[in-house]
Amino acid sequence: MSGAAHLAVEVLLGIAVVVALICCLGLAIMPDFYERLHYMASVSTISSVFVLAAVVVQEGWGQATLKTIVIVLVLFFMNATLTHATARADRVRKLGHWTADPKENIPVVKSGSGGKR
Amino acid sequence: MNVWLIAAAALMFGLIPCGIVVFTRDAMNRLVGLEMAGMIETLILIFLAQGFQNPNFYDLALAMALLSFGGGLVFTRFLERWL
Repeated sequence: MSGAAHLAVEVLLGIAVVVALICCLGLAIMPDFYERLHYMASVSTISSVFVLAAVVVQEGWGQATLKTIVIVLVLFFMNATLTHATARADRVRKLGHWTADPKENIPVVKSGSGGKR
Repeated sequence: MNVWLIAAAALMFGLIPCGIVVFTRDAMNRLVGLEMAGMIETLILIFLAQGFQNPNFYDLALAMALLSFGGGLVFTRFLERWL
């Protein structure tokens, strides 16, 4: 592996680790449950993709890369499913149902309203 | 000690905030901490597999990702219905 490739791996890994550590810190700092949920997304998208890029730069297209692609795909879809399921579970625990209730007055963004609520 | 093992060691510090959330918050927040810890551990196992230059270790990371997904869903359903 050339010096440039080695440097690229170090930079990619550094970004992945820093993003993951910041998200872990945010998880502990944020006061609200739903704010906390958002911090899982960055790890499963940004960090895992940078790790995949680092593996591709170091190994090329081989067994390790293919397995890493599978793991990244699992993390990507796992996070989306788990985030939805966890938020839904919290809503069911608090309200007894998870669908929107007209009495809740949830602000809805109408199409063509320019983002006004 | 290569850059992958250093990254794995650094990422282990990410488990500390997850542990704080798991040990100090209520049940739903604990679940979020657990799910985050599962993802961090998956990345750590990828780093260790690459750091030790053994592609077989990637199976551990894959198993960790799949099992934390299943475990998270089970806990979610359990907390939603019975707790």
